[in-house]
Amino acid sequence: MGRISFQDEIARNKRSSLLLVVFVSVILFALVYVFVYLIAPGYIVVALPISLFLIVLYAYSSYRYGDSVVLASTNARPAEGREYQHLRDTVEGLSIAAGIPVPKVYVVESEEMNAFATGRDPEHASVAVTTGLLGELDRLELEGVLAHELSHIKNRDILFMTLVAVLVGLAAILSHVILRTFRYGGFRRGRRDKRGGGIEVIVLLVGFVLAIFAPIVTRLVQFTVSRKREYLADASGAELTRYPDGLASALEKMMRRNRGKMEVSEAVSHIFFVDPNRSPLDSLYATHPPIEERIKRLRAM
Amino acid sequence: MSWVPWLVGGVIAVAAVAFVLTLVYYYNRIRVLFNRIEEGWAQIDVQLKKRYDLVPNLVETVKGYAKHEREVFEKVTAARAGMVSGSRGERMEASNALTGALRTLFAVAEAYPDLKASENFKLLQEQLDGIESKIAYARQYYNSSVLVYNNVITTIPGMWFAGGRRKHGFLEIPEEERRAVKVEF
Repeated sequence: MGRISFQDEIARNKRSSLLLVVFVSVILFALVYVFVYLIAPGYIVVALPISLFLIVLYAYSSYRYGDSVVLASTNARPAEGREYQHLRDTVEGLSIAAGIPVPKVYVVESEEMNAFATGRDPEHASVAVTTGLLGELDRLELEGVLAHELSHIKNRDILFMTLVAVLVGLAAILSHVILRTFRYGGFRRGRRDKRGGGIEVIVLLVGFVLAIFAPIVTRLVQFTVSRKREYLADASGAELTRYPDGLASALEKMMRRNRGKMEVSEAVSHIFFVDPNRSPLDSLYATHPPIEERIKRLRAM
Repeated sequence: MSWVPWLVGGVIAVAAVAFVLTLVYYYNRIRVLFNRIEEGWAQIDVQLKKRYDLVPNLVETVKGYAKHEREVFEKVTAARAGMVSGSRGERMEASNALTGALRTLFAVAEAYPDLKASENFKLLQEQLDGIESKIAYARQYYNSSVLVYNNVITTIPGMWFAGGRRKHGFLEIPEEERRAVKVEF
């Protein structure tokens, strides 16, 4: 019974990932079109090959190297050496229980308590925890948090979440570039040639709107993806450790001690266990479900 | 009517194909689930072997500091020997006995500050702790695989395709470990 809903979840994640890539491809094409139009309207035919190239490049590299980007942007380093033996053992044990290959283990230097998982499938997955987390949590609490992250890996949440992370980062850069080009190029063109017909104005408008809305849309994607996934990973993580109170008390510690000052890029904030950039008390604009609610659900299990 | 035999033949053919496909599906599914149990056991086996190999090291290390605790050493060695052969249940039981014996050993070690401070001892203790928790997790995987398997072969429609397969046995969790969770919190 649990197995079936779990398979559904994997299928849903694969579908979402594919949809996301298609959606981005369309936007990318539109952006390239506008960009070429602004810079060199005479060469509009090159927009198609260029955007196709970019789409393939984007899709392939964010699938293949998304996890490296995420790990690099959070300054994660491999958990090597004896001091992390216990961490590696716990990850290995929980992976055995979850029936997935053992992921690579990373550590992020930070006083804040947090963790995340990334990768494209269970065979190519990584899990990272902060040094603050290791210092503050006891064995059962650490198991709870790691089980939550391993559930993200098992449910294939990691692929979608990593794709979103890469996309949000990319969209921020792209819209920045486009807006600047538009201001510069649009001003000059407005003066010199008045031949531009209705279609051109529409194309320009669409481009402008896209450039403004792309970051907003991606941020929206980020908001909506997170909550359900977090509750689900909490539940299946608790199923793995058979001890929901461990995760609940880890969350309580985070609620008391985290200040929300990890200062990681907004593009990756949704992959974290709890919001790295905001204090748990600040629930406005939350990409994560409120901690109190998570604790309440876990305690009720 | 010349089409009647065609219709009857067609229906029979479709039914036959559907039957064969269902048969193949359930045969494979039951096989896959069974293999998962075997894989679960292999995981446990790996950890049991690791522990089996580490124990003599530990005993030697402790002996260097605490020569007179002969009784404990014998208990540990005996429990270790029991892990080599027997059924899965027996080997797990021997492993649980070893867990108990090791706990006694570590309790005894508390009385020897030099031993406790020894790097080698600390390392061994950490490794054995890690292995012990991995054994527990592997057993959890094993048991949940058994549960899924048993569910499929004892419910409709899986039971129609199960042939003579019997329900698979679980690996029992020792009483003391069940209690351990509460004590630690």
